[in-house]
Order: sequence, then C-alpha cells, then structure tokens
Amino acid sequence: MTEAIQQTVLAILQDLTGEDLSERMDEDIFETALLDSMDTVQMVLALEEQLGVDIPVSEFERDQWATVTKIVAQVQALQA
Amino acid sequence: MSAFQPYANPRYFVMLLVALVPLIIGLLRGRRHRNYETLVSLVFIVLIFAGGKWHEGVALIGYVLWQLLLVMGYTRYRHKANRTGAYWTVILASIAPLVVVKVTPVFTVHPSLLDFLGMSYLTFKSVQTLIELRDGTLQQVDPLFFLRFLLFLPTISSGPIDRYRRFAKDYNTVPTREHYLDLLQSAVHKLFLGFAYKFVIGYFLGTLLLPKVAHSALVHHHLGGGLGISWALVAYMYVYSLYLFFDFAGYSLFAVSLSQLMGIDTPQNFNQPFKAKNIKDFWNRWHMSLSFWFRDFIFMRVTFALMKHRVFKNRIHVAQTAYLINFLVMGFWHGVTWYYIVYGLFHAGAIIVNDMWLRYKKRHHLPHNRVTTALAMVITFNVVCFSFLIFSGFLNTLWFK
Amino acid sequence: MKKRLWWIFGPALCAGLIVLGLVVVPVHFSTVKSHSLATAAVSLKKNVLVGERLKDEAVQRDYVPFMGSSELSRLDAFHPSVLAQKYHRPYQTLLLGGPGTQSLVQYADNQSLLQQLRGRKVVFIISPQWFTPQGQQPDAFAYYYSPLQTTRWLLGKRGGLADRYAARRLLQMGNTKGGVHQALMNVAAGQPVQGLLRTRLQISLQILQNEEGLFGRHTSAKNQAKIMQSAAKLPFKDNQHQLATLARNMGAQATNGNQFGIRNHFFDKRLGGDKLSDLKGAQAKFDYRRSPEYSDFQLLLTAFAKNHVQVQFVIPPVNQKWATYTGLRSGMMTQTVAKIKTQLHQQGFMHVLDLSRDGNQPYFMEDTIHLGWRGWLKVDQTVKPFLEQRQAPPQYRLNDQYFTKTWQQKLIH
Repeated sequence: MTEAIQQTVLAILQDLTGEDLSERMDEDIFETALLDSMDTVQMVLALEEQLGVDIPVSEFERDQWATVTKIVAQVQALQA
Repeated sequence: MSAFQPYANPRYFVMLLVALVPLIIGLLRGRRHRNYETLVSLVFIVLIFAGGKWHEGVALIGYVLWQLLLVMGYTRYRHKANRTGAYWTVILASIAPLVVVKVTPVFTVHPSLLDFLGMSYLTFKSVQTLIELRDGTLQQVDPLFFLRFLLFLPTISSGPIDRYRRFAKDYNTVPTREHYLDLLQSAVHKLFLGFAYKFVIGYFLGTLLLPKVAHSALVHHHLGGGLGISWALVAYMYVYSLYLFFDFAGYSLFAVSLSQLMGIDTPQNFNQPFKAKNIKDFWNRWHMSLSFWFRDFIFMRVTFALMKHRVFKNRIHVAQTAYLINFLVMGFWHGVTWYYIVYGLFHAGAIIVNDMWLRYKKRHHLPHNRVTTALAMVITFNVVCFSFLIFSGFLNTLWFK
Repeated sequence: MKKRLWWIFGPALCAGLIVLGLVVVPVHFSTVKSHSLATAAVSLKKNVLVGERLKDEAVQRDYVPFMGSSELSRLDAFHPSVLAQKYHRPYQTLLLGGPGTQSLVQYADNQSLLQQLRGRKVVFIISPQWFTPQGQQPDAFAYYYSPLQTTRWLLGKRGGLADRYAARRLLQMGNTKGGVHQALMNVAAGQPVQGLLRTRLQISLQILQNEEGLFGRHTSAKNQAKIMQSAAKLPFKDNQHQLATLARNMGAQATNGNQFGIRNHFFDKRLGGDKLSDLKGAQAKFDYRRSPEYSDFQLLLTAFAKNHVQVQFVIPPVNQKWATYTGLRSGMMTQTVAKIKTQLHQQGFMHVLDLSRDGNQPYFMEDTIHLGWRGWLKVDQTVKPFLEQRQAPPQYRLNDQYFTKTWQQKLIH
C-alpha cells in the first residue's frame, strides 16, 4: 500500500521537477526550491486525481508536505 | 491622556516590559497566566486608543464585534451546511469595513470614521479564520480565544500576521523551560537589533537623510523632460528603500520579540530581503507573513480554481493570471491610489518576466555560477528599489503636486 | 537556569544601566572649543536659543547677547556681527532670536542666561511688530519651546505677580505637558512647586542638561561663512566716513530693481508677481498699541532689572515707502513707540535708541521692516560706545502696573 503511494508520489514529482527523488526521500523540496507555488498546486491536483484524496488548500501546511516521506504520510492519513 | 503609539518611544517599551514581568516569571515556572495577559493587553489597547484617538477606539470595538459575529455565525452555519453563496457573503461582509476605509479617500479628504490603527492587519486574521472554517480545517472557534488572537497586543498595529491554528498551538500550551529560555534569548537579541534598525539606522535614513534627498529631487523636478529624473531622484529611491526596510523590519523585530517574551513564537517578517536572487525569492524574504498569506489564500486558491476548472490550457497562463490577481489585490490592499496599484502590477510583471527568464535559462542551459548569482542579486535589488520608488508615492508629489 | 537567565538579560541590563547613567547622573561635559563657539554664536539656530550651555559659555567669554527677532538674520556687511569680527572689537556678538521670537520666547528661553548676565551688557532690538493684539504667536512659541529652560525657571524661587503672570502666559501657549504643566499651574495659582513634583522636575532637568551636553553641539556654519564674505567687502580700517559711503553704495546697488528701496532678492522672491498688488493698503488696520506683549516685555524688563543687566534697546523703523504703500498708519506707529518708551523710561531703562523716524532714509532698511546697510551702521554708532565704554550703574524702578490689562490696553499719546 505505502509502496504504491510512494511510487505515485515520486512519479508526480518527477513530472513536475524533472528529477528523480527516490534516493532523496527526506530532502526538503521547498527549501531547495525544487517546487514553487505553481508546482505545489499541480502536485495537489495530481495527488487528488491519482490517489483519490481530497486535500483542502488550507490543510496544506508546507512543513508537513516538505519531503517525499512526509507527503506519503499525509496522503495515507487522508485516505484513512 | 495623550495618545500612545506602539513601539514609538521609550515609555511604551518600559511600561510594556514592566507589565510583562509577572507573565515571564510565570512562564519560567511553567505557567501561563492567561487572565493577567488579557488584562495587560486590554489596558494597553485602551491606552493606545485613549485621548485624541478615542473615535478610533470606538471603531475598533465596532469592528471586532462585527468580525466576532461573522465568525461565530459562520461556525454555527458550517455545522449545518456548506453553500458557496453563504461563504462568499461572509467573506465580503468581513472585508467590507476595510473596503470602505480604503475607498473613502478616493471620494473625500476626510478619513473614514470606520478606520483605526491596525485594521488592515486584523482583517487578514479574520478572513483567514473564515476560510479555514469553510475548508473544514477549523471546526470550533472559541469566541474569547478568537478575540485574543485578533487583538494579540504585540502585533495589533502592523503584524506580523499570525494564523489561527498556529497561534492556538502556542497559546494553549506552555513552552518547556528549555524552549522558553531559547525564546527569551531570541527576544532580547531581536529587541536590541530592532532598536538599532528602527531608532538608529531608520532614524538616520528616514528623518535626517530622506527629507534632504526629497527636497533636492523636488528642486530638479523640471529635468528629464518634466519627469523629474535626476540623480537626486535616484538617491531618493535607494534611501527610501533602505529606510522602508530598516523601519519596518525594526518594527517587526519588536513585535516578534514581545511575542516571544509572552511565549508566543510569532512568525518572522523579514529574512535578509536584499540578498534575494530573484523576485520570487524576494517575496519569500520580504514582509513574509503578508506575502505568505497572499500566497496561501489568494495565489494558491486562484491557481487551484483555474486549474480545476481548466480555464486555461497552458499552465503558464494560469500562473500569470494568478500572479496578476494576487499582486493587484495586494496593491489595492495598500490603498486605492495609482501608485499602489502600479506597484502591484509592477511586481506581477516582474515575476512573470522572471518566470520567462527561468524557463529560457533552463532550456538553453545557461551558465550558473557565483558571478551570475551576484549579478542576479544586483538586478533584483534594483528592480525592488524601483518598485519602492513607485510605492513611496513620491512620484505622485513630484509629478502632480 | 539562573546562569542562563543572567547570560540572556545581563548584557541588556548593563546596557540599560549605562544609558540611564549617562542620562541621569550629573556629567561634566568638556568646554566648547572657541571656534565652534564662534560659529554657534552667530548661527541663529534653534538649538542655541533653546539650550543653555553654548549661551552660558559665550557670555563667560565676553560675547554680548544681541536679542531680537528676524532682523538678526540680515547679515549684510554692516551687521553688528560683521563689524565686531572685522574690526576685532573687544566684544563679539551672540545672536539670539529668529522669526517669531517675541518677548515671551526670549524670556522663557533665556532663563539661565539672564542669571549669567548679572552686571553685564545686552543689546535688545525691540520690534513694534511684536505688539499685535494677540501678542506672542503660540505656534512660534511651540517651535521655540525649551523644556530645559522652563524647568529651570520652575525650580527657581517663584512667587509674586511677575511669576504668576509668566506662568499664566506660558500655560496660555498651550503646549506644555506633564510635570512642567502641573508646576506651571501651581505657580500660576501662587502655590510653591514642592515634594514629588519638585523631585520629578529636578530629575528631568538633569536629563535635559545631559541630553544637551551629549547631543546639543550640532550647529551650522552657514552664517559664519556669510559673515566672512560680508567682512571681506569692508575697508581695512574702522572709519565712519568710509563705511557710510560704502553702505550707501552697496545699498543703492542691491535695491535698484524696485521703487521701495527693498533688496532686489527679497522683493523678487517675496513680493514679486501678483503679491504686490494684493498688499496695497493691506496694513491699514494694523494696530500695535494694545497688546499683551507689553506685559510679556515687562517680564524681560523685570529679569534685566533684578540682575542689574545694562541694556541698550533699539527700536527699528518701518520702511517708509512700504508703510505708505500698505497703508500702515503713522500715528498708530508713533503712539506704539511712545508707549514702549514710556514703559522703559519710567522704570529707569535709559539707553533707548529710537530709530522709528528714520524709515524714510535711503538704504536704511534692507526690506520692509528689517534694518540694513545704513540702518545697521546707525545702530553701530550707539552700540559700539555703549559696549566699549563703562556705563554708569543703572537705577531701575520696577512697577507691577505694567502687568495689568489696564496698561496693555492703555493709549499713550
């Protein structure tokens, strides 16, 4: 289950940033400026579409979505 | 009693710091004296608005009651229903007083009776609370706590703009002694840095230097084909920009410092903005609590809506539209004058150009090294300073007065 | 935890104590260098007038206060400061005054100086234009308000009609605050300033004194430069005949652009264009005969008399052509001057140079009401011997009737 979500998230991020983050699961994607506000919105939309979760924009606290690991955890929490 | 300006003179600092001593001792002992804190805040708010500004005090009370009514009413409503019409109605009702205050100067020289010090900052907090209620991230609002959040003394006049849930997290807990000592250390540091910024550097730039450069620029108003373009105007641009930073950053340091003494870790407002490498970077460093508010509650939401409804095919157009709306709203928020609006549009334009350049740079694999970074900083600094020249309203005086 | 707290607050506490110490502890500041004193004495800057250090040091070093108002800034070649510097007179000038400094400002701002002047000499230029129905303008008073000097005044021995009158007038100006305000209310009501209020004023006096010592040195060298320029135009020797010819020539050259004998620069800037026609007959209703200023002036006379100060008064004229054009009534002016002179002579102030009939002399005035070339020279003919020679000790006879409304409103023919 976690595995599947992780693959999807990595694929979405690769789409947006052009980089493979599978080796950098705990890198802060905002701090390193990999993702800007636009990409963030796209990521949220893609996550909603592909993983069937509903993410309110104000739920989107950057700190909690800043790394691949954190994103996976958040999605799991929302699916539950 | 003479009106009392937040952070304007030594008396304010001394009185506030003395009043906070019991609170600080309490926090060191692991207790937060909430009632005492409320009492101190109330006394200071009365002092700020007493005397010559009593009508502002009346406006403040009316405003706060109105926002409380909206927030509490909407909280109750949200438990039963979630109609878009209702949501927009409360949002409009919440910003209505601010709109009246901002539009009034267009029609008359008398300021609106609804106006009071800090209104535009309180509006952010209130609107943000309503939006989170709509999103469902906030389900219960305690009326007394909402008032404490709205009227939090250190930030009442000009921010930094805190968020409801973040504030609640700090307020409803007591920091550990270790953590509180860190906060105290940071508070003392910020207080003194603030003194240096606002009362030494800011005073030199704003009170001593700025009037001289302004005078000299006005003397040369006939140059540059009547546009008044002179070296003095260039000097004004830089002096004003630096003054704006040191004055406002100094103020923000005070606000954060006082919050920290009260055990609340209010967000920072500035992070070395003149070191920004591009305009986007600049907005991540300048008046951060404002720009993040706009990012989260205007930009992201506009983008989200545009994408979800597939208004534009091209995502670049989505971004551009969202930037324009975002900065236009920010311009109007500053005030309904041509220079604030142009200032907003100018920043939107700068970000759009910046994005185009970044795409071009990526496509053509242009070099990226220390020299190009330095150049980027210099260009960004100058673009920003130019935008502050617009913002200052000095061109209005120079051209039309 | 205590150690950590000390590390956090200790430095801040020390900084606070140092600042507090610098402000509250009596500090002896180094004396002012003689060339900065020379610059300050003619700078006409507000901080010199409202302060006390520079003035007090100046009179200790043989400067003579020239008190007045805006005419002091007319620094042409025959201005007292220029003549004193050029010809190395035994006195140098300490210029005290500016636009809007009427009797009440001079009184309130010179409290320490008036005490320092015991037995010394002063030149006082008293303008009839001060004696308006309103007297001292509150705006100008607020601008020149000196908390330092007012506090010092309040801490002195107060009582009696003059002090009650002064306190009332200061309160009427409407810009006093805090402890000074309370103490003024006491003095106005004939009550002593004592107890906690007195302590409070003593502390604030120390703070204000230290503040002046630390930050009050800044002056402008602009006027000193102007004086040097003007002095360069004067003949090598202090010769009345040569100076008179030069004054006439310089005056003629500077006023050749208008029919009023007003300096061209002033005329073009202040009276040019439409302004002139608007001013025709504009002063027909001016009246200087009834004014609270007469009693404010009495405050100064009282202070001069109590300290045995020898004062040379100068009453300047109005440019006659200008007075005729604006409709200023000459009968009213004569009565005003007569009233001022009565007040002076009756109380034993005998050195009064009345120039009020010289407004028709060519090149006497620099502009409408301010002395210029030949006017300054005429002043010098009286002031120079007054200051250079020993004068008989004055016999002053103060009379409190000059503090009454009756005197303020009385007409003297």
